[in-house]
Amino acid sequence: MVFFMFLFEVCFVFWIISVASGPSPYYGVVGLVFGAVFGCLMLVGVGGSFISLVLFLIYLGGMLVVFAYSVALTGDPYPSAWRGYGDLFCMVGYVLFVVGAVMYCFDKWSLEGYGDVVMDASGLFSVRMDYIGVSWFYSYGCVMFLIAGWGLLLTLFVVLDLVRGLAWGTIRSI
Amino acid sequence: MTPLHLSYFMTFIISMTGFMLHRTSLISTLLCLEAMMLSLFIATSVCPIQLQTTSFMLNPMLILTFSACEASLGLSLLVASSRTHNPNNLQNLNLLQC
Repeated sequence: MVFFMFLFEVCFVFWIISVASGPSPYYGVVGLVFGAVFGCLMLVGVGGSFISLVLFLIYLGGMLVVFAYSVALTGDPYPSAWRGYGDLFCMVGYVLFVVGAVMYCFDKWSLEGYGDVVMDASGLFSVRMDYIGVSWFYSYGCVMFLIAGWGLLLTLFVVLDLVRGLAWGTIRSI
Repeated sequence: MTPLHLSYFMTFIISMTGFMLHRTSLISTLLCLEAMMLSLFIATSVCPIQLQTTSFMLNPMLILTFSACEASLGLSLLVASSRTHNPNNLQNLNLLQC
């Protein structure tokens, strides 16, 4: 289990490096999808299965699908993988940064943090903590819940107004 | 720093660096912004799990909500600017680039 968690963490960093250093947004979306998958698996590894499912549904299933559509709409017709030495130097630089950080922290690593804190406080709670923590939205967090819902509704109207426009301004329909 | 904390910390730093140094179109910048939001979500989720404080689980939910708003706004700006300007020339929007 320790090896699984370490593998998920390494893969997460790897895919995010591919997002940050890839020139084409098509491959960036792929890297972000797999990075989010490994991020979800990391959250499962520390015990937050509900929060991992929320990330999967909302982030992967909602936002990244919209990103994929937008990339398909506005992306270049001939995507390039690596165009020259600039992208290679970026990726090598990020990998060296990761390796340097690991070497700086390596001697303080132990088995701490791999499953020593579980989601029901080692048997003290009767319910799982992440699921119950989100249910605070309905009791003391109700004002923030309403504000977040109102913000989402407002975003719909803002997006409508941004991509509207028949004949005035710089935003026109095709 | 434990490997778990180091992983999302490095993810945030690397995606912020990629956000600063975007060389191709605006979409890759927005993708790096989404990677930053992903690492922030994982950070604010791992923190209350390891400290066993349930009420801070609202924090990643709110971060996810507002990052969805911000991503949709960024994408609408992208689509709007790619209608009037050539979508291949979005790397010309580089006034704020390092």
